[in-house]
Parts: sequence; structure tokens; C-alpha cells
Amino acid sequence: MNNLLTIKNLYLKIKSNQNEEILKNISFNIQESEVVSLIGESGSGKSLTALSIIRLLEKSCKIVSGEIVFQNEDLLRIEEKEMRKIRKKDISMIFQEPMRSLNPVMNIRDQLKESYENKKKDDVDREIIKNLISVGIEDASRVINLYPHQLSGGMKQRVMIAMAIACKPKLLIADEPTTSLDVTIQKQVLDLLLELKDKLNMAILFITHDLAVASQISDRIVVMKNGSIVENNDRSSFFQKPKDKYSKSLLESSSYNRKFKKKFSSKEEDILNVRNLKVYYKENNSLFTKKQSFIKAVDDISFSIKPGSIHSIVGESGSGKTTIAKAIMGLTHITSGHIKILNKDIINISDPSKRNLRKFYQMIFQDPFSSLNPRMRVGNIIREGLCFLKPELSSSEINNKVLEVINNVGLNKNTLNKYPHEFSGGQRQRIAIARVLVLEPKLLVCDEPTSSLDVTVQKQVLDLLMDIQNRIQISYLFISHDIKLISNISDTISVMHKGKMVESGNTFDIINNAKNEYTRNLLKSAPQIRY
Amino acid sequence: MFTFLLTDIFFYIIFFSLIIYINYVRKTPDIRETWSYVFKNKTGIISAVVLSFFMLTALLDSIHIKDKIYNEDRNEYVYSQEINSILDIILLPISKNTEKSYSSPFSSHLYSKETVKSYNDKEKRIYPKLLHKGNHNKYLDDNIKNIFFTSLLSILKSFILVFFIYILIFREDVFKNKFIFSPLKRNSVLFSSLLIMLSIILILYDLGTQYYVLGTDKVGEDVLYKSIKSIRTGILIGTLTTIVMLPFAVFLGIFAGYIGGYVDDIIQYIYTTLNSIPSVLLIASAILMLQVYMSNNPLEFENIYERADLRLFFLCMILGLTSWTGLCRLLRGESMKLREVEYVQASQTFGLKKMSIIVRHIIPNIMHIVIITVVLDFSALVLAEAVLSYVNIGVDPTTYSWGNMINAARLEMSREPIVWWSLFSAFLFMFALVLFANLFSDVVREAFDPKASKNYE
Repeated sequence: MNNLLTIKNLYLKIKSNQNEEILKNISFNIQESEVVSLIGESGSGKSLTALSIIRLLEKSCKIVSGEIVFQNEDLLRIEEKEMRKIRKKDISMIFQEPMRSLNPVMNIRDQLKESYENKKKDDVDREIIKNLISVGIEDASRVINLYPHQLSGGMKQRVMIAMAIACKPKLLIADEPTTSLDVTIQKQVLDLLLELKDKLNMAILFITHDLAVASQISDRIVVMKNGSIVENNDRSSFFQKPKDKYSKSLLESSSYNRKFKKKFSSKEEDILNVRNLKVYYKENNSLFTKKQSFIKAVDDISFSIKPGSIHSIVGESGSGKTTIAKAIMGLTHITSGHIKILNKDIINISDPSKRNLRKFYQMIFQDPFSSLNPRMRVGNIIREGLCFLKPELSSSEINNKVLEVINNVGLNKNTLNKYPHEFSGGQRQRIAIARVLVLEPKLLVCDEPTSSLDVTVQKQVLDLLMDIQNRIQISYLFISHDIKLISNISDTISVMHKGKMVESGNTFDIINNAKNEYTRNLLKSAPQIRY
Repeated sequence: MFTFLLTDIFFYIIFFSLIIYINYVRKTPDIRETWSYVFKNKTGIISAVVLSFFMLTALLDSIHIKDKIYNEDRNEYVYSQEINSILDIILLPISKNTEKSYSSPFSSHLYSKETVKSYNDKEKRIYPKLLHKGNHNKYLDDNIKNIFFTSLLSILKSFILVFFIYILIFREDVFKNKFIFSPLKRNSVLFSSLLIMLSIILILYDLGTQYYVLGTDKVGEDVLYKSIKSIRTGILIGTLTTIVMLPFAVFLGIFAGYIGGYVDDIIQYIYTTLNSIPSVLLIASAILMLQVYMSNNPLEFENIYERADLRLFFLCMILGLTSWTGLCRLLRGESMKLREVEYVQASQTFGLKKMSIIVRHIIPNIMHIVIITVVLDFSALVLAEAVLSYVNIGVDPTTYSWGNMINAARLEMSREPIVWWSLFSAFLFMFALVLFANLFSDVVREAFDPKASKNYE
């Protein structure tokens, strides 16, 4: 096969920082109709490499040296006019966020029309419909009149793909095209990409941080770290015998196994007991409308957690799993139902006694970048809960506790005087864990605590959480979309779909013989590493 | 005897709360560290120095004194109807005499020709010599040379004075005063900018007694004096209005955004209603009402100063009441956004009350918007005063203000040859105040933003 694209010794700098190269000596080839996956953690330079190929880098970036040869032409040396032609004909790109890559004020026809020039209106419409059907949108003639907000995330990504393949490109650059999608849709999109690849005979440069996804789709794997390539290998040899140390650690962290399982007796009293929980939102909350319709975010959910166990709620986006967490924490109103913590109903309870209970159940949020107040020092952030929930403590006792907890989460004590932005995502999540741990809670609600972190950092944070559980008597309510992760760490699982609980029970039972169709589908779609 | 006008009292309150805040900052290490950034940053120091001179001028202009005069008819001492501020007394050498009409900056003659009778009863049209300034040096005929040498002399004088002060403070071997001036010695930028400001003021003062540095206006009053006197009005309109407007904007905005629901609806309806009334009409009606009140109750005011002052105070109030809606809407949106941010939710799970969440989490995170808007509004308010003076609903015509000067410049610019210096002086002073307020607020915002990369330049 012929080389379609060759990158040779590419170096890239940012203008404001002339000393350090962001990309160092990047060289790899893409052959015709080959899928190459570019793998790396955030900040490793995957997207910059892709943008250099299609020459859409920001002005602040500057390519220092190297060449990018595409069909015997060096893309770095041709005129912008020529480059535009190549972008129109030969190289296309799909972006990560389908919600943001489509213009919200244009309908699908107008968006796609940009890819077809110099053609009559009727011809273009027919082409567009044909194109949309080829990406798996069956009622294409209806869809072309819709606006982006009327489509689901998967549909939007399909439209994006349709736009990208409209010119029948030879190379498609896909920058994390499935990261923001649910697993079932992710599977559909991946299947679609592979199908189109064969049909159009195009090569794909697939950028991802997810090894399992990469193993599903690619022929070759290129691993990047801190702006340079550490490994470039066949798919099968990469997953069986990775050469590089970093690749090995990536592979190890991509599947998480809980090291120690605590024994808990089912006779003990439940730490959390949720009965028939319903959370409905009014759809039209305006002064002038009388008719009210409801969105049933959580519809009749019941489950319980034993002390010292880990219960997980798994579901796709919009299934209402975060709403359950919010309902337990009192962050949203509850339409009906009971939530008992330590056998006390926290819904019909007076404020002071609820405040007394609050120290026993706390929450860790998904995004460590927005869960810490940027204008407070870390010490004050950790101290906040103690000051309000345990006012009986003296200030020296508080300081001792803070120092102890900061040590326990693996940070040192000069962290306390810094501001959150001085830390990386993993460290911030440790701070967020320290903030709740200092209260010595009995139950921690973890709302996707690792999903915004890199895989290796994910592993560290999970290790920390499991380590804490090993040391003290604490239960977790884990909320996640990642059924693979959940099945490895939790004792019991509830599966949610559209606000309803479709299945609940022991982890082993659910993973190995799920009764519900949806659960089976979820398990099937979850990407597994293909060796 | 000291006498207090309404706005004076307000000025003292600002001043004392500033002192209390500074004291508080000195005692709280966290905030002291933040503020120390402002005084390590070159722009911060320079703008702080310039602003403090503006503030000092306004403060001096707010301490008013009534003279005792001897009434020969009644054979006793009575208080005069004239009220002078300390600033007036300091500036007396500049302001005591007036000319007949316009004269351009540094000139020795009036700006327009007049018919003068000479010795032999012949009528001549000439540019008459100025009576009080500009002709002090009889030995030099040429006005340019005259200006040059006089300026040189003033510069020399002021430099000698400043140098003397420098020695007094800096050379501890001359005077052993280690404690009072130690911050000055450590901070060379602060020290040098203070000295430069001081020498500029001394040069202007010395020149001002010998020339009309910025010319004279229609009734022959020194424009430099007018501009300096206007500082108080400008600062007052900027700060008093802001202080009236801020609580409305901040608290209503946050309540609307954070609490939501009916509170949000009510606040939104209030500011939409207020917004739909043209603010000029609202201000006009309020000022006219005040004028009616003042003419019906003439006995309540001892003198014209009190009347003018009440009008200024009232103008600030009504400007404040009409200008909070924009900021309120901005803050409503921002707090709506913050309400959903996870760190606010995290503190809700700690069971914090709404008020403490607002104080601890919301307010610090909207302060940058408040600072930017307030400083931009500050300049807009000074300009609004000029617009309002134009339709006769601004400050009292007897009050010195840049607005009044700009308003008068309307006619001056349309005559031939044009009189440009009134507008220029008002512009110069306003520009300086607004520019340095902007620079200062920029540095302050940066100091309070933990994410900003702090460069000490």
C-alpha cells in the first residue's frame, strides 16, 4: 500500500514560550485506507498534531521545522489557496463536541450545503439526502429541515460525519469524535466510521484517549506523551506486548481492579435507604401558563446501601443518575418518596437536625475544575465544612484535622496556602476528596469522580478512594456511565434508563446474566480492548 | 468656624471608612498580601499616587469654613455668608483676582480687542493688557522669553523644595526619623512618583500665581482654579452615585439570580419598568421637583452654597437610582450561572445558609464584573453630568464642575476665534482622573484574581 500522509520530524512551538517545544520530533505515516489511532492524555499534543496536518492551528502556534507530505505535496509549504482546495477535496475533520461544531441558527440542509458548491439546488438536496442516508439517518428528507438543537447527540455527530465525507476525502481526521457520546451511541458511530472507511476507501486518523475505543477501530496505534511519540506499533502487537513503559502503564490503568474487598454483613442496618423516590420538574415554569407538564427525571427509584459497601448507579446521560445524587444531597426538590440516612428520614426533618446529619453524608463532584471556588485558598476550602458542620471544634482542632486529612489524600501541607488553579486535575480531585473526608462521613456520593480525568490519574484517584474505604468504615454511592469500571469496583449495581431503574442487584449477577434487554445492550456496547 | 454641607459629611464618611478598611487590611494577612501586589506593581503605585492627590484635593475642598466678620452697624461679630474651603484658602493667590474676559493660556493680554481711550482722547482698538497676571516682569518685553524664564525659575524653585523634602525623608543621617517614612524608602517607585507629583503641583502653583496657566473664562476667572475646584464635584458624582447604586445592583442582582423564582420575577419587573422610563426625564422631573421645593421654602437654606449643595446631592441620588439596572442585570446572569457551579452546590451540601453562600462564594466571584462596571460607569457619570448641565438639570450653575465647563464650551467653540482652553482643561482633568481610576482598578482586579499571572511591572 502507498503512503498517503507522511509526517517527518515535526517541531512546534508556542510563540509566548519560545524555549519549549510543544511537539517534538513527530514522525509517522498513514497509509491509504488505514486507521491510525493517536493516543495520549490531555496536553500530550494529539490535537495539535491533527490541526497541523489540516493547517488550522491557532495563530499563537508556530511550526518550527518538519514536513507533512500528503500525496507528494508538503502541506506546510503550499499557499493557503491550495490548502483550501485540499481541505475541500482530500482531508476532512470531525470535532469532539457535536453540540458546538454545528451552527445553531442554520438548518441541516444549509450546514451541509457548504460542502457542495456549484450545483443546482435540486441536485444538492438529492445529494444531501443520499449522504445523510449513507451515515445511517433514515428519515433524511425530514432531518434536513431541522435545526441542530432538535437532534440528539448521536444524530448531530452523524451529521458532522456526513459533512466531513461529503467531499469523499482520502483522509478523515476524527478528534475524539465519540468522547461526549453515550456508549451505545459511541458503538454505532464507531461502526459507522469503519463501514464508511471500507466504502469510500479512506484513511482515518483517530484521536482518542480511550484505549478500548482505539483497539476497536484501528490498524495501528501511535502513543504520544508530552509532545513526542513514545510508541508506534501494530494494533495487535501493541495490545499484547507494548514496548514502551508509558504504554504499559496506560494499558494497566485502562482496566481498573479493586484490590481489596471489604466484607460487609447484610444483616446490618442500611446506611442509605431510598424508597420510591420521584423527582419531577415542571416543564413550563412561567407566570402566565396554567397548564403544567412534567419531566420525570427520576421515577420511582428504590435502593439501599449497607455500611462499608459500594453501590453503583449506572446509566447513560439523561437517565437521571445525577438527579438521584442531587436529591440525596438536598440540592434539588423531591416530588415524593423517602430517603433515609442512618435510619432517619432526611426529607421531612427540621433544618437543624438535618444539619446535624449532613456530616455523615457528603458528595464528590464530577469536575474538579468547577467544584473548588477559584477565589478561596485550599485551606479555607477544606475548613469550610468543618466550620459549619462541627462548630464545637476549636480552631486548633480544626487545623489538626485539616493537616491530617491533607496527608491522608497524599498532598503536602503547603498546599493549604495555594489557590486551586495551581493544581492539576488529579490533585484538585484529591482536594475535593479531602474537603469531604475531613468531616468523617459514613456515606460518600461520588458523581462520576473520575470521568473528567486522564486514565492514569483516574487510576490514582480510584486507588485513593478504595484505600480510604479500606482504612475506615465508609460506603460509596458511585454514579457513572462506565459500566466496565463499575463492574470492577462495586458490590451492588443499579442500572438506570430514562429515569427508571431497569435492573438492580449483585454486581456478579448483573454483569454475567443480566435479565434486562437494556442492561445487556449497555454491556455489549461498552468498549472492550480487542487483543 | 467650620461648617458642614450635606456632601461634606458624606465625604468624611467615605474617608473614614477608607481608613477603617485600610486598618482592617493591615490586620488581615490574606488581604494584606493581595493588596501588597497593588503596591508592588508600577502601574498600581503610580495610579494610586495620582488618585490619592485627586482625593486629597477633594477632601481639602470639603472642609468648609465660615469667616467671622465685624458688623459695624450692629457692633458685633457675625458669620459671613461666604463659605470657603481649605482648598480655597490655599489657592487664594491663584484665584483672588479676576480679569475682564477671556484670555488664552500664559498670555499677557486679553483675547479680544477693546476700544480704549488713550492720552489724547483718541479711541483705539487694542488688546488690553491683563490687570493681574502675565505682566509681572517689566524687564523683558518679549512674552515668550518672559514665559520661558518664569517657568525656569518656578521649576528651579520647586526642585529645590522637593530636594529639601527628599533629604528630610531619605537621608536619615540628617534627621533621624526612621519610622514614619520607612515604607517610602523601601518602595522607590512610590517615592519617586510622589516626588514627581509634588513637584508638578509646586510648579503649577508657582506659575499659577504669575500666569493664567490655562487661561481665563468669559468672566475672567482662572480656568486652572475652576478645573481644580471641579475635582470635588467630579469625584462626588462618581463615588456617591456609585455608592447609592451598588447595593441595589449587587443585592438585587444576586437575589434575582441566586434565589430565582418569584424573587427573580419581582426584581426583573422592577428594573424593566425603571428601564422603560427615559432616565433623562426621570432626572429632570426629580430636579424640577427639588427646585420647586427650594423656591417654596427659601428659609430653610442659609445661603446659596447650601442650595447648590443640596442640588448636587439630589442629583447623585437620582443618578444612582436610575443607573443600577444595567449592572443588576449583568450580576443576575452571572449569579444564575454560579448557582449551578459545583463549588456552590458543594457548600450547599455542607448546609450553608443562602446568605453565607452569597457572601462566601457568589460575591467574591462577581467582584471583577462590579469593579469593571463601576469604573466604566464612573467616567460615564462624569460625562452624564455634562449632558444634564446642557439641558439645565445638572448641577447648580454656580457649582464648579467639568460638566458646566464643557457646557459653556459649547458657545466658546462656536465663536471666532475659538476659545478652546475651557474644554481642554475640563478634558485634561477628567481624562487624568478616569485614566488613572481605570488603571488602578485594572491592577486591583488583577490582584484579587488568583488566576491572573502576576507580573510586577
